[in-house]
This record gives sequence, structure tokens and C-alpha cells, in this order.
Amino acid sequence: MFTSGLKRSVVGITGIISRRGLASEAATEVPKLKTFKIYRWNPDHPAEKPKLQEYQVDLNKCGPMVLDALLKIKNEQDATLTFRRSCREGICGSCAMNIGGRNTLACLCRIDTDESKQTKIYPLPHMYIVKDLVPDLTHFYQQYKSIQPYLQRSKVPEDGKENLQSIEDREKLNGLYECILCACCSTACPSYWWNQEEYLGPAVLMQAYRWLIDSRDEASAARKQMLQNSMSLYRCHTIMNCTRTCPKGLNPGYAIAEIKKALIPA
Amino acid sequence: MVFQVACRSVAKRSFQSTARRSLTIPFLSTLPQAPGGVKGNVNDAYVPPPPHKTHGSLHWDFERAVAVCMPPLVGSALASGGDLGTVADSLLCSALFAHLYIGFQSCIIDYIPKRVYGKNYNYAMYLLTLGSIVGAVGVYKLETEEEGLTGVVQKLWTSEQKGDNK
Repeated sequence: MFTSGLKRSVVGITGIISRRGLASEAATEVPKLKTFKIYRWNPDHPAEKPKLQEYQVDLNKCGPMVLDALLKIKNEQDATLTFRRSCREGICGSCAMNIGGRNTLACLCRIDTDESKQTKIYPLPHMYIVKDLVPDLTHFYQQYKSIQPYLQRSKVPEDGKENLQSIEDREKLNGLYECILCACCSTACPSYWWNQEEYLGPAVLMQAYRWLIDSRDEASAARKQMLQNSMSLYRCHTIMNCTRTCPKGLNPGYAIAEIKKALIPA
Repeated sequence: MVFQVACRSVAKRSFQSTARRSLTIPFLSTLPQAPGGVKGNVNDAYVPPPPHKTHGSLHWDFERAVAVCMPPLVGSALASGGDLGTVADSLLCSALFAHLYIGFQSCIIDYIPKRVYGKNYNYAMYLLTLGSIVGAVGVYKLETEEEGLTGVVQKLWTSEQKGDNK
């Protein structure tokens, strides 16, 4: 009698433990199936048209961000789904894509928990596509290279250590240096869609401005001269899609306006 | 050379993009474009068009100046009830004229770029210049022989009914 009671209590304890252990997989939980429609195109079959493929993800078993859903799909449903990702915290700019009609980083974009609505995911608009959600950014990087994004000085400081600048001068770079070159803003700009071969686009122009106002840089004249044509800078018509879409909350439109102002007397 | 052609065709095939014809204006001939929009190798920097201030900052300064002039000119014309002098009316006409010219020029640069359309870009610019000359003559006639732009606008409100003339 005593032993059976002990046995029962042991069973009871293990029962509690096992129930606690299984709590997250309780059968009573209803799966929250969210539909994702993702742009697919495979270069191995170039004649096939790009299509939207549908995937369903249980939001109860998925992280909160769109990137989590993409990774879950890739891990569990379709290993051929291709996209770029790296840091998963909005600092590398790899996972830039068009989610629900807005260019943003998949890792910073929360999944819309409304299951009745589908979420459509496209690559960055108006770019050449390498595969699925991977755009070809070669030209974007070529443009970035052309603005010479590095410090240019005729001489180094005498102590051979650092190029110093005042706190005020350093503050001018706030809101500019944080750009991670994810290309969300450039690919949201209609002017960049039509003329990206020649127009530099908001992301690159903001970096051009970042080096233009750096108090330590001495190549301002050459930097300004490079933009003195109708295409590189002046295709900006202050549409401001860039500022609206920036996943880091920066303001490329303002930077471009400042460049235009800086070029007035030149 | 054969290798280059092969590379190019491979590069062309390995990117997906919207067909060129759905992005260009029908019936206008276009120039061949670099595959993927990339010129040179991946480590080459973009080469900007040669610097030209009249297409760059000066052009923009002029455009802004004209745009800033427009509200007071139009505003004063409206406020005065259309009774502007010939000089003020000519100023309004010229500013409006410059504003429209720059606007259309910008449209041509955006949508019929030389890079894609080659000669057609020039033709579009010639057409704009021709239209502007005709327009300028029209404005001159309007100022000298009629009551100017404000007079024309005024007539829209005060024109006599055709039925009354019988």
C-alpha cells in the first residue's frame, strides 16, 4: 500500500515533468498557417518564366521576422529557395528584398501575423536577377567605387597617428555613416529604375555627401566635379522614395539636396 | 573574341530581367545595352559623363530660380484680377516658358535617354526646340497684338456666349 502510494506519487511527478517538457508542443495549439508567395526564377531553366511560389509556415513554430520564415522554408520545405543573408540583425544589408511592396531588410521586417493575408516577397525591383531573391548588384558596387569612398589627403598628421576632427565636424557624419549599402533606397527610386546605368542613385550619393562634408577630406573639388553633369546627380527629382523605404531610418533625399546646395556656387 | 561573345551570351542568359521591349517606347529604335548593365569587369568603377556645368549645377540653379519665380508671378496675376501690364505679363510668360522647357527637357532626358535611344534623343530635343520657337513666336504675338497671357485667361471667364451674338 505504502509502496504503491510512493509509486503513484513518483508517476505523478514524472507525469508533471513530462507534461512540462511537452508544454510547447501541446496538441491543443492550433497551427497559425501564414501563406508566403515568393518570387522564383532559376537560371538553370532560363526559358521558364519567373513565378510566385506559395509556401505555408506555421507562425507558432517560427521566429518573428520574415527572414526567420524564409530560413524555415529553406530548411524544411524547399532547399532550392535562394536568397542572401548573413548577420540576421540589420547590419550587413544582405537580405534586402521587396516584402509586401516595400524594399526592406528581411531580418528587420516583422511577419504580418494576420493569417488571412498573404505576404508577397520579390527581389529588389528593377534589377537583373541572378536567382530567386538574389539581384545582381555589380553595377551598384561599381557606382560606389566611382565616388572614391575613402579619405583623401595630401599629407598625414605629423605624429603619424590619427587625422583629428572636432566633435562638431564628427557630428556632421551622423545619419550618413550608418548606411549599410543594402540598395533598398536606390532600387526604390523611379529615376534609378529608368537610368541606373548613369544615375548614381540615393545610396551612393549619400556616401558621396558623407565624404564631401568630412572635414578631414581634401578632395572635395574633385568629388564635386565628378557630379557636374546631367546624369550622375541631377536625375534626382526629390521623389523621396529613398527616405521612405530606408530600413535604417536614414535620409538619402536630404543628403542629395545638400549636395545640390553645395554645388550651387561651384 | 569568340570567348568574349560566348561570355556575353552566357551573361545575357544568366540574368532574369523584364524584357527590354516592355520597358521601352514602341516604334523607337534602341541601342544594344551591356548585359546586366555592367560595363567592363566587376572591379571597374562607373565612369560618369564628362563634367559640364551648364548641364550640371548651372542648369539646376536656373531651374530652381525659375521655379521660385513662378508663385509670385502667377499669384500677382491672380491677385490683380488679370490686369497686369505688358511688362509683367511678358515676365510671367517668359518664366512659364522657361519652366515648361526645362520640364520637358527633363522628361526627355529621363524617358528617352541618349544611352538607350541614341539619335531619337536628339530628334526629341530638336522637336522640343522647334516647339519652343513656335511657342516663343506665339507669346510675342500674344504680347504685341493681343492682351497677353492674362488677357487670354481672362477671356475664358468673360467670353460672350455665341448664342447672344445672333
